Amino acid sequence: MEFLLILSITLLTYSVIIFIINKLNKMRHQNCYLLDYACFKPSDEFKLPTNICGEVIHRNRLLGFDEYKFLLKIIVNSGIGEETYGPRSIFRGEEATSTFDDALLEMDECFEHTISDVLSNSGVKPTDIDILVVNVSMFAPEPSLASRIVNKFKMREDIKIYNLSGMGCSASLISIDLIRRTFMSQFNKLALIFTSESITPNWYSGNNRSMMLANCLFRCGGCAMLLTNDPKRKNQAKLKLKHLIRTDLGANDEAFNCAYETEDELGHTGMCLSKDLPKAAALAFVQNLKTLAPKVLPVTELVRFVMAGLYRRSKGSRGGGSNSVNFKAGIDHFVIHSGGAAVIDGVGKSLRLSEWDLEPARMTLHRFGNTSASSIWYALGYMEAKKRLKKGQRVFMIGFGAGFLGNSCVWIVNRDLKDEGVWKECIDQYPPKTLENPFMKMYGWINDQDI
Amino acid sequence: MFSSKLQSIHNSFQLSQLQIFFILLIIILAGIIYFMCRPRPVYLLDYACFKPPATLRVTFSTFMEHASQVDFFDEKSVKFMMRILERSGLGEETCVPPPNHCIPPNPNMESSRSEARTVIFSAIDELFSKSSSIQPKHIDILIVNCSLFSPTPSLSAMIVNKYNLRSNVRTFNLSGMGCSAGVISIDLARELLQAHSNSIALVISTEIITPNYYAGTERAMLLPNCLFRVGAAAVLLSNHRRDSSLAKYRLMHLVRTNKGTDDKAYRCVYEEEDSKGNVGIALSKDLMAIAGATLKSNITTIGPLVLPASEQLLFLLALARRKLINPKSKPYIPDFKQAFEHFCIHAGGRAVIDELEKKLQLSSGHVEASRMTLHRFGNTSSSSLWYELSYIEAKGRMKRGDRVWMIGFGSGFKCNSMVWKSMRTVKTPVSGPWSDCIHRYPVHIPEVVKLY
Repeated sequence: MEFLLILSITLLTYSVIIFIINKLNKMRHQNCYLLDYACFKPSDEFKLPTNICGEVIHRNRLLGFDEYKFLLKIIVNSGIGEETYGPRSIFRGEEATSTFDDALLEMDECFEHTISDVLSNSGVKPTDIDILVVNVSMFAPEPSLASRIVNKFKMREDIKIYNLSGMGCSASLISIDLIRRTFMSQFNKLALIFTSESITPNWYSGNNRSMMLANCLFRCGGCAMLLTNDPKRKNQAKLKLKHLIRTDLGANDEAFNCAYETEDELGHTGMCLSKDLPKAAALAFVQNLKTLAPKVLPVTELVRFVMAGLYRRSKGSRGGGSNSVNFKAGIDHFVIHSGGAAVIDGVGKSLRLSEWDLEPARMTLHRFGNTSASSIWYALGYMEAKKRLKKGQRVFMIGFGAGFLGNSCVWIVNRDLKDEGVWKECIDQYPPKTLENPFMKMYGWINDQDI
Repeated sequence: MFSSKLQSIHNSFQLSQLQIFFILLIIILAGIIYFMCRPRPVYLLDYACFKPPATLRVTFSTFMEHASQVDFFDEKSVKFMMRILERSGLGEETCVPPPNHCIPPNPNMESSRSEARTVIFSAIDELFSKSSSIQPKHIDILIVNCSLFSPTPSLSAMIVNKYNLRSNVRTFNLSGMGCSAGVISIDLARELLQAHSNSIALVISTEIITPNYYAGTERAMLLPNCLFRVGAAAVLLSNHRRDSSLAKYRLMHLVRTNKGTDDKAYRCVYEEEDSKGNVGIALSKDLMAIAGATLKSNITTIGPLVLPASEQLLFLLALARRKLINPKSKPYIPDFKQAFEHFCIHAGGRAVIDELEKKLQLSSGHVEASRMTLHRFGNTSSSSLWYELSYIEAKGRMKRGDRVWMIGFGSGFKCNSMVWKSMRTVKTPVSGPWSDCIHRYPVHIPEVVKLY
């Protein structure tokens, strides 16, 4: 009997130890590291200042004086600077009549630069890539852009490729989610993500105001990111993924319809952005944070929040003031999708962020415009170029997109980062003294209500 | 008696108690490690295919009449399409969406979305009516693949909106991935189901025909007009171990092969603009050869996983003979009929099915499901494999333990295949797209159907 008792206890102890070892082993391989990333900086001949935007608006015969005024007002007040980039078709005067090949060329230029850069910076060969995920929302040719990249870079025959499309401005986080989950069952893999947006074939040539906004705000840009779950590459990695939360508000009709690709009465296709967009973004944001907050905030902040809430409730409406969670207790840096000045302001207000916190997003919007899903990587690049990212700090990224989707993630900085990347030539000029559009003197009259 | 026998065995081995501990320990540890490292099973609970209404039927005569009435096709193009149709293997009951019934076809974004809603929602509604225990709120993962129509918000967002899926559902919308994208979606679902236990995934495979009618005169780009037809499939997957008794199939293997590095293979199914600015998909003359080569690569990987040892040995011996003794001796083609009971070959066209029947040395019975699907439904792209599976079930041929090999080909150039094992015998009659016509099948499909 004694023999059996000892046997059972020993076996139980060993089983528990092995179980723990196994779990730890799995956790080890579940770590998703960002090795490096490279953003796209188009050639300077494609810079799109306000005066050229004015000429482009003028070219559209369907637009009258009122529309001209409306569009200039958007552009001048958008927070977008004079050095953002537009597609080739605009500079040839062919934005309304671009061809299929033009759209392919736009993508070719973007991925050839970004992928070559990220591979050479990290010493990785194209044949080392095990998984490739491409997300470009508004252009999905056949064969897919992912196949196009495999062909151009001569990747392996057994590579797993996924081409996501239609998933909006938060799609790069969806790509990371896909890879993170794949990493949980496949060990020692290297993944490449390419994220961009196609401007060329999606130019709106009609006169519906809700559909003209996209023309004003979206600019050319893209990013290639290398991720791995190989523990041997841990020291090379820049960031380690800690959390990723996805929120899908598609079940809410208002949210679903707020960013909708459609045809106007004259048959022109464009992105219709409704007035409910800020509301949908706010809803997605709150829902997303509700899930994220308990994971990132220290216990002290959570306790403080709950206690403050209880105190306010006990005091009733005389409690006064507003009680919101202080995210800065658990997060050091905030990367916000540069969807527009309103998005940045809205998020900044909700999270009670300072101008310093919002600077990367604002400067990205100013220097590169709204580059859709890749904008968060430009903002991250800004922080890195400004030498803000130190080992152990936590970086929060949030993106919003059509659907309506609100996706966020939290990274831990793996080592002190100092690459200047795409901001190399201009980081010293940022932040500029003023973000005001220099053409305000010329176009400032449009803000007068009398005209 | 038993304990005394144990005692005598114990004495004969002269093992100390400590040694017994360790031996038992090792056995138990091995057991634990084995159970912990097992990949999660992927069960196919059920699936449903869209059955187009008869009002959307396009007969050969209708197709030709419409083609000759529109001004963007010249006489040569019309004659060419007629020849394609005559030899296509399609029947008179395939369907095109409403805008393509107009003269000329008048596609737009809203009508494309309307086709998407009709085909996808019908398939999903039927799927949920068959799986009574699963409801939309149980869906954890949603994957949609549609190659040639990718609006914003995506088709996956459209499904979330219609069925009020949860806000933490993980959606993925694949596009541009060709006719083998159905297998890619299942692969993605499998990866995601490995990451999380007790999850349900809904996979939708479809192709939206409306926006893709080619209105030009390039011959290589006219083929899709003749072959592509409406279709959609909805598949419910689960990794709950308890679902093994409810499930219809279990996923055994999935192999993806990508020949994209070879320029010829990459360009053999290529979307581009013709000289007049019309966008269409050009199919190259090398398509069959490339499909054959890509299939060969896929077989090289999947063969060792599925073939019995005898076939693998024969293959290796033949290979050795070729390399060492006589390079001119014929290569040995493994007998895949020993590994699988049923074959679902993508109904891409008659030539694809003929080629595979020859290459894999299959009988006409093995490719019947593919041929009949092509005849009744046309080339429905990524969903065709599910129509073929439905045919096999409707014919009462699916028995418990049967293995099915599904092979998809598509742009890239990709050959993706998957192996399912049947968990139960499927009893007829089967409700599905074949329910009203299975009794008429198989039909004889002549080489050429003369159209005048």
